Amino acid sequence: MNTLSVKVNRASGGKFQHRKRGNKTKDLNITSLIDILTILLVFMIKNISMDSTQKNSPEGMLLPTTITTNELIESGRAVYLKIYPDKILYGTESINVGSMEDFLSKTEIRNSLLKLLQMESKAIISSRSKPCLLIQADKEVPCKYITEFIKFSAQASFANIYFSTIHTEDKDQILGL
Amino acid sequence: MAMGPSKSRSRSQSELREPNLIPIMNLFIVIIPMLMTIMVTVHLAMIEITLPTEGAGGGGDDTQEQLEDLPKVITLALLPDRFEIMVEGIEDMITIPQLSAGTYDYFTLDKNIARLKNSNEKQGTIDILPDPSVKFDTLLRSIDICKSNNFPNIKYLTSATKFYKAK
Repeated sequence: MNTLSVKVNRASGGKFQHRKRGNKTKDLNITSLIDILTILLVFMIKNISMDSTQKNSPEGMLLPTTITTNELIESGRAVYLKIYPDKILYGTESINVGSMEDFLSKTEIRNSLLKLLQMESKAIISSRSKPCLLIQADKEVPCKYITEFIKFSAQASFANIYFSTIHTEDKDQILGL
Repeated sequence: MAMGPSKSRSRSQSELREPNLIPIMNLFIVIIPMLMTIMVTVHLAMIEITLPTEGAGGGGDDTQEQLEDLPKVITLALLPDRFEIMVEGIEDMITIPQLSAGTYDYFTLDKNIARLKNSNEKQGTIDILPDPSVKFDTLLRSIDICKSNNFPNIKYLTSATKFYKAK
């Protein structure tokens, strides 16, 4: 559709000057964009996972890689413990417990964490589930802290202990080849 | 005098109407970022370990035949500079030194664990004893190698320090 535009030409004493616009206003063709978006949508729906355990990858932590994987025991409920090189976070709310050195040296921190674990384990047992401890630790963390946490969790009736890792199919990566 | 249909009307009826794609576009713009945020890019796995139970030693009533049927206990020690594998009843210890400083020889460990599985088919448990200074990555790789060689049960041993008072 041809349109007419009105422009005031101030140089010629403010008289209106009519100019005919020659080009048609073209509609944006979004069909190809819709095609791409449809393909993207189908791809994402196919790849989406509703498994809650796969979505809780802790931020800023380098997890070790493994080729084997185990399932959580039947009627098991996991309590998360994230061990960073500089801090320990407890539970899904990521409560900061302190640093690893504090955990080893300060009695009040150990007691408060033990109380938290014991309360959580009692609550899980009362709901007729089995308490499981899921340790998510950075790959650089020394084993002495892991051993301490395992001893600690055994005191709080956590018999089932799991380590969180990143799953891979490549065994050569594990063997360092 | 009856008038015919206007030219513009007849032209608009003959042209194909384009579908209104704006609602679809709005929907896509909302759905695609939402899916991108919840899409799993990293597949997490879980590795189960078991704790040593108290009183795991043998009873006094076992006959010699029953003792012979029991699978031999295999212990893998993770040390700062090497791996050591101990098999119950065998004095010779398998030592796997590091390839270079900080680089463990996981390939040789894998071969040795596979060989031990062939000679102890009934055994499904390996005891792991990590040194306090060994990194968590080394521990997990070793556990993974054991599990991938049909040792599904990994018993995490914790070294205890005992102090005796001198008389």
